[in-house]
Amino acid sequence: MSGRVIVITSGKGGVGKTTASANIGVALANTGASVALVDMDIGLRNLDILMGLENRVVYNLVDVVEERCKLRQALVKDKRLPNLSLLPAAQTRDKTAVNSDQMKVLCGELKAIFDFVIVDSPAGIESGFQNAVAGAEEAIVITTPEMSAVRDADRIIGLLEARKDEISQYRLVINRIRPNMVKNSDMMSVEDVLEILSVKLLGVVPEDEEIIISTNRGEPVAGTDNTRSGLAFRNIARRIRGEDVELMDLDALNGTWMTRLVKFFNPSVRV
Amino acid sequence: MQQVINWFFRTNTDSARDTAKDRMRNMLTHDRLELPAGRLESLEEELIAVVSRYFDLDKDTTKFDIEQYERRASLVANFRLLRSKC
Repeated sequence: MSGRVIVITSGKGGVGKTTASANIGVALANTGASVALVDMDIGLRNLDILMGLENRVVYNLVDVVEERCKLRQALVKDKRLPNLSLLPAAQTRDKTAVNSDQMKVLCGELKAIFDFVIVDSPAGIESGFQNAVAGAEEAIVITTPEMSAVRDADRIIGLLEARKDEISQYRLVINRIRPNMVKNSDMMSVEDVLEILSVKLLGVVPEDEEIIISTNRGEPVAGTDNTRSGLAFRNIARRIRGEDVELMDLDALNGTWMTRLVKFFNPSVRV
Repeated sequence: MQQVINWFFRTNTDSARDTAKDRMRNMLTHDRLELPAGRLESLEEELIAVVSRYFDLDKDTTKFDIEQYERRASLVANFRLLRSKC
């Protein structure tokens, strides 16, 4: 068996890379596939928090590479999904702790066990990014519709293009779209970003306060019903698996004038 | 309803969305080609000077730009020629 190694990357920090990694991992595992989430943000470990697994981390990725433990020992099983595991980053080391060759070997071992290996890359375009990409065959580029994020995404796409021999495909996820601001022409739309970057779209995730709540709980939104961001991530997972899933209607998220009126008087109501 | 209100209070300035798009396009053209600011303008000046030695030009309708298609750039220059100089 050989799984697919997909790196999640963005260039700019703070656009939702780690949130996307956690949610795509959960959503893929929910489709029945076995999934390994690999945190390559060595020194700035966060994926364990989003997954609610921070208290179960014993060994980490660097321990595996430096042969202080077996790969199986370092993998942390998810609380709810037995087919989902996390390989945590080391918190006390830095980006130079693992090199590209070691990463290739590690990804090779992981894809022999799992259907999907999702690698969360650190921000930036330096060695940390280069190492995270080393073992991957596919990439997902995360951006928000802000100019600085789009510019950095473009730089990442340029670097992925240069690795065409290894990275067979890369697709874009546009995160934190605010449908009403797009409607009022206050920010770039999905179409604008796609036109500017000329890249294939994998999915769109609307801005959603539920993300903050779910992060605090350590339960990614993709695993719970009734959230629009969770649905967006589940759609993304289905597209990764080759299903043809339509984009959600962002305008519908604005609601009717009636629901907006209700929200105006009582913002705590979720409509 | 919101759109009607927006339309009603519309000012002549471009929307933030359009401004962002234009700035973005321009910025990425320069980023991708590693083109320093002002370089394109000096090329335009030189080209106009060269063509002007052969033709009278309608300088108001000159179009000079880098266009992107599928992440590939091409230089598009359009000089309206009035008559040949001999």
